[in-house]
Amino acid sequence: MFTLHGTGVGFGIAIGPARLIRRPGQEVPEYGIPPEQVEDEVRRLHDGVASAIECLSVYYEQIWRESTEEVHAILDAHLLMMKDPVLTRESASIIRERQINAEYALQIHSEDLEAIFRNMDDPYMRGKADDVAQVIGRIQDELLGQHAGQSSLEGIVEGEIIVTHDLMPADTIDFKKHRVGAFLTNLGGPISHTAILARSMQIPAIVGLHEGIRYLKTGDMLVIDGKRGVVLVDPDEAALEVYRKRAEKIERAHQALDAIVDKPATTLDGHSVTLTANIEFAEEVVESIARNAEGIGLYRTESLFMNRKEFPDEGEQFDIYSTLLEKAARPVTIRTLDLGADKQVDGGRQSMSPATNPALGRRAIRLCLHDLTLFKPQLRALYRASVHGELRIMIPMISNLEELDQLFVLLGEIRDELKAENLPFSQNIPIGGMIEVPAAAVAADLFASRLDFLSIGTNDLIQYTLAIDRIDDEVNYLYDPLHPSVLRLIKSVIDAGNAAGIPVSMCGEMAGDAAYTRILLAMGLREFSMDPAVIPAIKQKVRLTDIGKIEPTVGKLLSAGDSGRYRELIERIET
Amino acid sequence: MRVEKNIRVINKLGLHTRAAAKLVKLCGGFGSSVSLCNGQRTADAKSIMSVMMLAASQDTDLELVVHGDDAEEAARKIAHLFENCFEEDE
Repeated sequence: MFTLHGTGVGFGIAIGPARLIRRPGQEVPEYGIPPEQVEDEVRRLHDGVASAIECLSVYYEQIWRESTEEVHAILDAHLLMMKDPVLTRESASIIRERQINAEYALQIHSEDLEAIFRNMDDPYMRGKADDVAQVIGRIQDELLGQHAGQSSLEGIVEGEIIVTHDLMPADTIDFKKHRVGAFLTNLGGPISHTAILARSMQIPAIVGLHEGIRYLKTGDMLVIDGKRGVVLVDPDEAALEVYRKRAEKIERAHQALDAIVDKPATTLDGHSVTLTANIEFAEEVVESIARNAEGIGLYRTESLFMNRKEFPDEGEQFDIYSTLLEKAARPVTIRTLDLGADKQVDGGRQSMSPATNPALGRRAIRLCLHDLTLFKPQLRALYRASVHGELRIMIPMISNLEELDQLFVLLGEIRDELKAENLPFSQNIPIGGMIEVPAAAVAADLFASRLDFLSIGTNDLIQYTLAIDRIDDEVNYLYDPLHPSVLRLIKSVIDAGNAAGIPVSMCGEMAGDAAYTRILLAMGLREFSMDPAVIPAIKQKVRLTDIGKIEPTVGKLLSAGDSGRYRELIERIET
Repeated sequence: MRVEKNIRVINKLGLHTRAAAKLVKLCGGFGSSVSLCNGQRTADAKSIMSVMMLAASQDTDLELVVHGDDAEEAARKIAHLFENCFEEDE
């Protein structure tokens, strides 16, 4: 038994076997082969290819019935590539020439091929590079003793603990389908995608293990303590017993929260608070309603555009938005595309090359206003869907007033077009802005005067205000939602909204963390939007809060110059 | 028997991975040897890696050369596959 330490996020305790997932591009070992063993190494390559073919064929048969024709076509192609002697011949000659191990020879061959495909003029041809990387990756996995089927999410068994270098936003879609037990990653901080995903799945995760995962292999028995950030590897029976008991206790606490699902979110002194859900997939509406969300405070539309080659057209988007609005049967705030930065798309457009500093680059509304072929179909689809429910449109990352000018001109055009085409749309769709750039927060009154609602996006607001990259685990210890500058900005946005008579909500991670609920209530926030899973916990906190009692302390807090005094005041508010 | 034929890639995605797979599977069923040339590079149409390296995107003209007993039938079926956009929705 030994332990590993990282940053614990998400819920509770998980006990289960490890499942290592190697990512394309992750390093493979490189070592020299003595001349007399070169032919053995070539044979090892051939064996690896043979068992990769075997593995993929078995997998293919297993999923044949339940998968689509498109999946068949891809697997067909991958099998043909593996069986193609051209692929093996090249790698074998690299082994012979450079006297290196098979995995690394494959890597060299793969990179050569990928370079050729990526340089082809036609963007569709570049997709071949990914296919080559996947096929060669499977063979490498075989050689490294990880069965090909296990190199990705295929065949994941319920309760397994996913161990990987880092998770991408696009993984969300795949993981939600599998009931995995926990996540362990080398990279990431408390606000990384892994953390968000773990919270939404109500499972624990430990991120920022640095190179910790190299000590783990598939099948290792693990205990994950999400609260303390500790991983127990190969625990003994006594330790297992302790953790099983604790896991049961946590489960009981969860059940206690379930009991307040139907109670109103009202404070002890009678203020009523609106709790809404942040969702990524339309199916999550069901869970949101089950947790008694009063609406959808944030529907992120990026997942519609990710993991696919072609972007969804207006008709497809219209169908999705209309269904969502009907199913929700309560107010739904749909955020227009927030692509760019850490959310890159796979296919579609060549213009989305990664910028040097994507978080400060052409993303969200900037990208949308730049590329109307992307933005306009979405806005038209939203307007057309508006007759199917109670829609609010939210614009991410606004930072200057010209963006609003352009937006309103565009919306005017769309209304005229739809009228001319005799397509119905609702006459008053509230248009709101997500306040997540300090520039917009500082001048919140100017934005408030032209918008119908504001929503504070704390994740970006905090990272931009404090100059902390939230996914950089070397600096994320400085990421502090309670930093006085952050609290002052939040307060000024709430005040600006109140002065303009428009609603202000908060949809960042901070709104879903019970440690901040009281301070936000005391600063005047009355609308919180969060992952549906945490609604009961926040509601419990709201119901135990007396705003009148803590309000005076907040005034003192925002002007406290001494950090010791500051922490003391925060403590006083939160307990 | 030797059959030569000029073929144009008309589907939007060109000879991408899945299309290449269909072509290779079809060619594998014939005894004849099949090659495709884009003017610079000649690909063995029974090797998917070789076909993928052709970089045959939409509107590329290819020269098809089939050599063997069933060359005529093979050439006809291959041309048909290209004309049918590899039986894929665009």
